[in-house]
Amino acid sequence: MIATATNQKLNNLRPLIALLIMCLAISLLSDKFLTVNNGWNILRQISVNICISVGMTLVILTRGIDLSVGSILAFAGAIGAGLLKFGIDLPSQNINIGFTLLGGILGALAVGGFLGWFNGLTITRFKAPAFVVTLAMLTMARGFTMLYTEGFPINGLGEKFGYIGTGWFLGVPFPVWITLVVVLIAVFITNKTPLGRYIYAIGGNENAAHLSGINTKRVKMIVYTISGITAALGGLMVTSRLDSAQPNAGLSYELDAIAAVVIGGTSLSGGKGSIWGTVLGAVIIGVLNNGLVLLNVSPFWQQVVKGAVILLAVIMDKTNKE
Amino acid sequence: MGTKNLLLACLCLCILISCGENKTTDAQGKKKMAVIISTLNNPWFVFLGERAAAKAEELGYEAKIFDSQNNTALEADHFDNVIVSGFDAILFNPTDADGSIVNVKKAKEVGIPVFCMDREINSLDAATSQILSDSYSGSVAVGAYFAQQLNKKGNYVELLGLVGDNNTWARSNGFHSVVDNYPDLKMVAQQNADFDRNKALEVMESILQANPDIQGVFCGNDAMAMGAYQALIGAGMADSVKVFGFDGADDVVGAIQEGKIAATGMQFPNVMAERAAIYADEYIKGKRDFAQKIPVAVELVTSKNVANYAAYGE
Repeated sequence: MIATATNQKLNNLRPLIALLIMCLAISLLSDKFLTVNNGWNILRQISVNICISVGMTLVILTRGIDLSVGSILAFAGAIGAGLLKFGIDLPSQNINIGFTLLGGILGALAVGGFLGWFNGLTITRFKAPAFVVTLAMLTMARGFTMLYTEGFPINGLGEKFGYIGTGWFLGVPFPVWITLVVVLIAVFITNKTPLGRYIYAIGGNENAAHLSGINTKRVKMIVYTISGITAALGGLMVTSRLDSAQPNAGLSYELDAIAAVVIGGTSLSGGKGSIWGTVLGAVIIGVLNNGLVLLNVSPFWQQVVKGAVILLAVIMDKTNKE
Repeated sequence: MGTKNLLLACLCLCILISCGENKTTDAQGKKKMAVIISTLNNPWFVFLGERAAAKAEELGYEAKIFDSQNNTALEADHFDNVIVSGFDAILFNPTDADGSIVNVKKAKEVGIPVFCMDREINSLDAATSQILSDSYSGSVAVGAYFAQQLNKKGNYVELLGLVGDNNTWARSNGFHSVVDNYPDLKMVAQQNADFDRNKALEVMESILQANPDIQGVFCGNDAMAMGAYQALIGAGMADSVKVFGFDGADDVVGAIQEGKIAATGMQFPNVMAERAAIYADEYIKGKRDFAQKIPVAVELVTSKNVANYAAYGE
């Protein structure tokens, strides 16, 4: 009993050990790696991925998957930028509704939440596989983005909006604060609330959860809605950083998020994993991206290395189960 | 067995009916041009496609835009559909210099002329004419200006586009054909940023950590130039590092006016698109004698001549 408990702890520490080894290796090869500035760079760069991955973790814990986050990110970012810059035109009444900064942000989050909710509705109502439903949303939301932007970026969104992605607050980049709040809320939900326990229960055994009186449909709707909102938040951060809503923003971000979740030790078959693990997974990916560029590794090799790290994480996960 | 046959019969009927419909609308309606674009995921190509369609409509044709999504197989499907639904000409922006040849030949066999825009195919007898952006010479010009602006010495960074894309290498090779002649110009980092603004920003941030002592950045397109510039602002180095782009996108033209970006290679998608539409019109009216390759020059835009240019050479 004691042996398995220590084993379990050791397993949880594996991603952390991997991260430390990586950091040590990179800092031996480049003296620019372990600097304060570079640390902030990495944290700022992974903020978006952590945000998305937190939503993704909740979804995967219920044994689901959300492939639509990258497209929702692009659409919500475009909506936020569009509301801020152009407002809503009602040609029939000949009026234009302008939006404040807060209005634009809330509009974008609402759109993300709605698309996520719609994912959840389709999955629970029609018992459709999450993979297919969110794959359809991946395509549709990208199409909405193209329709809304007509294929061109929306540029020049103002300094105030730029603060979300580029500002500093108490000596820390503002997006890092946003991400920290998102992470803390998610940790609170998973560890301290009934909702969190239901999420794990559904991932462990959905039928048993249902029979024990948990409203599994409602819980699933909630996690997909959260995933939509966190994707939209990521969209706002990307858009703000670039001062531009790019119609092709967030391409293949769903894969980065899934990679972070998996490297962080959350099981794709649900019920097992943690938010902190995912954060660690995202940091590993961020450090890897940063380190490979610092060392000026050829772009061809970078892709091979990143793939190998994910493979290694999965193999480690499998072997420690046996 | 009976139901199966019935289904089969229905299916045949459906095919027949839809074919019949197509024929009749063709006979009644205007002549049609198809605009097949490699990807609409990038504003530059959206502009190219819309210009070609607009010019075709202006010349009295019905125009329809197809998006190949950078996928040569999807492009082949578009060609099949275009051939079946009886278009009279194809204004074509290929996904792949070699992979697209077979598609163009398919159209040629049934007598539909194909006019390539911007990107070429490696065949001299498949397309009726190819109106091409001269990326290589354009980046030679950017490279020469780059060397001059840096006084032929210093450290620089190159951001590549997509490493599997032939335009990426045409631009990179053109640039290096000049810059590599100056031994004191040293490339300290060469990384890809997929023609993407956000990726360029992140990659550049990391590069600046490793190489704070740089004087220039050459980017394979303008989106990456803007991303690199934002990274330089973040690092407080925007004044000491010169950024060079390629394309002539509207925010970069503005940034050159404000002295933020040093130069870009201006391409002329509107010229290529309109010329392709005009040639197609001439072909339909009976002209058969077209030059196989028509290069459209890429012009160097700097702070000195930027007043003469608007986005995409308009």
